Amino acid sequence: MTAPVQSPPLLMRETKLNVVPVRHWGRGVLAVVVAIILVAVVAGLWTNPNIQWPVVWQFLFSPAILKGLGTTLAISAVAMVIALVLSVIIAVMRISPSRIVSGFAAGYVFLFRGIPMIVLLIFVGNLGLFFKNFALGIPFTDIVFWSVPVKDVMTPFLASVIGLSVAGSGYMAEIVRGGLLSINRGQHEAAKALGLNGTRTLRYIVLPQAMKVLLPPMGNEFISMLKASAIVSVIAGGDLLTVALGISGVNFRTIEMLIVATIWYLLVITVLTIVQHFVEKRVAAR
Amino acid sequence: MTLEMNDPIATVPGMVEVAGVDKWFGQNQVLFDIDLSIAEGEMVCLIGPSGSGKSTLLRCINHLEEINTGRIRVGGELIGYTEKRGRLHEMPEHEACRQRVGVGMVFQQFNLFPHMTALENIAFAPIKIKKTPRAQALARAQSLLERVGLGAKAGSYPSQLSGGQQQRVAIARAVAMDPTVLLFDEPTSALDPELVGEVLEVMKDLVRTSNMTIVVVTHEMGFAREVADRVVFMADGRVVESGTPSQVLDTPQNARTREFLAAVIR
Repeated sequence: MTAPVQSPPLLMRETKLNVVPVRHWGRGVLAVVVAIILVAVVAGLWTNPNIQWPVVWQFLFSPAILKGLGTTLAISAVAMVIALVLSVIIAVMRISPSRIVSGFAAGYVFLFRGIPMIVLLIFVGNLGLFFKNFALGIPFTDIVFWSVPVKDVMTPFLASVIGLSVAGSGYMAEIVRGGLLSINRGQHEAAKALGLNGTRTLRYIVLPQAMKVLLPPMGNEFISMLKASAIVSVIAGGDLLTVALGISGVNFRTIEMLIVATIWYLLVITVLTIVQHFVEKRVAAR
Repeated sequence: MTLEMNDPIATVPGMVEVAGVDKWFGQNQVLFDIDLSIAEGEMVCLIGPSGSGKSTLLRCINHLEEINTGRIRVGGELIGYTEKRGRLHEMPEHEACRQRVGVGMVFQQFNLFPHMTALENIAFAPIKIKKTPRAQALARAQSLLERVGLGAKAGSYPSQLSGGQQQRVAIARAVAMDPTVLLFDEPTSALDPELVGEVLEVMKDLVRTSNMTIVVVTHEMGFAREVADRVVFMADGRVVESGTPSQVLDTPQNARTREFLAAVIR
């Protein structure tokens, strides 16, 4: 025999908790320290007599700089597309049942992931020093259908694109391989049971699903490739940094020209990050 | 005629003929000398405890698994191999694909393609493999969706469908290729209990209205009793008992069968 449970009578119903928050003293102190450092750095840059800001504004929109920016964007975009295609091919070869094919792909990844990008670029840029001609013919014979001197075709732009895309594809092949392997076995079996062969399964079932998984890391790769494209200045790739350093060689305002380049890099990367955010959101919605 | 009389397979050509099949996974033998003949249009339920080799046998019929000994024939044709002068030759991929078109499969985990809508899932293989004109394939897919009670879900992606709905789409996808044999691998085992009924209803409808040969691995004894022509009980990689549903389920001859049924039918 228990009495029915009754809530105690409420004299006045509380509508909202009235709470005094706990004080985080450490957080407050840290915030003040960080703010002081930030102000000091900005003021130091802004008021530094050795940095002539008018020079920065003068060159920020100069035709030469804009042309360099255009080249940077072109090199990165073309290299990214080539790297993407190469990386899919290498990733597919890597999971081939043939040991030789997968071994070749493993070697490719090992080589181009292992060589520092700057070394690779210098190699490609100076290809003409150790290969005289590009030739199309039958290997190990003297039969040649078509031939052209390396130094005539290997422009700094082409060398930059090749260097960036080959180096990028080494990393990206591993990302793509991870994406391919992430598709579960049931998808392969369902495709097989419907009568799809391996190639069609890859093209219509596995790759489209893998691409979705790969979009975020590929977005990051594109952003890193854009930044890495600055390295092509070592072979005078005609990119933003090459132009900025070229101008500084004439006017001796190195820091100002680097600031000009930095502003553009940050701007482009901000835009790309925003684009990537929206693309990812769209893909995630599906 | 006399020549054929000597060969039981030739005189009674089953749609699916499994003869003397052993299957090993590494050091582990999972199928022991399986003999099973399934007639055209017959509906067979494979039952038995988990690990008894039912699913493996089903997957061997579709050549998703390779057998180690014996022969499997579907429609009189050897599955996965061609036999020339007493030697087996592995089939080239396009031949194996052609064979699989004739044998449909519905999986425990549905395995719908998540990047395609329900309609695209069904129409995809007819368009790509059978070269059915797109409009015709889509119309057929829509009518199949209606038949499984999902006419309004044509544009939905698998992730927007319940398990039961996904499995019904998967059944429609398999049927769309007009296979002569349709295999179901525990089609309701991954479903929430309240969704099992809708899938079983679709399957019953299929058994009654189509002339496909159907093999179902299942734990649904009520379903097996209602629609199966024959129930085959497997245990430890062997066919233990086979007969009409009432023979196997009501008057099992083998102790192993009785033990299993006592455990599952409460």
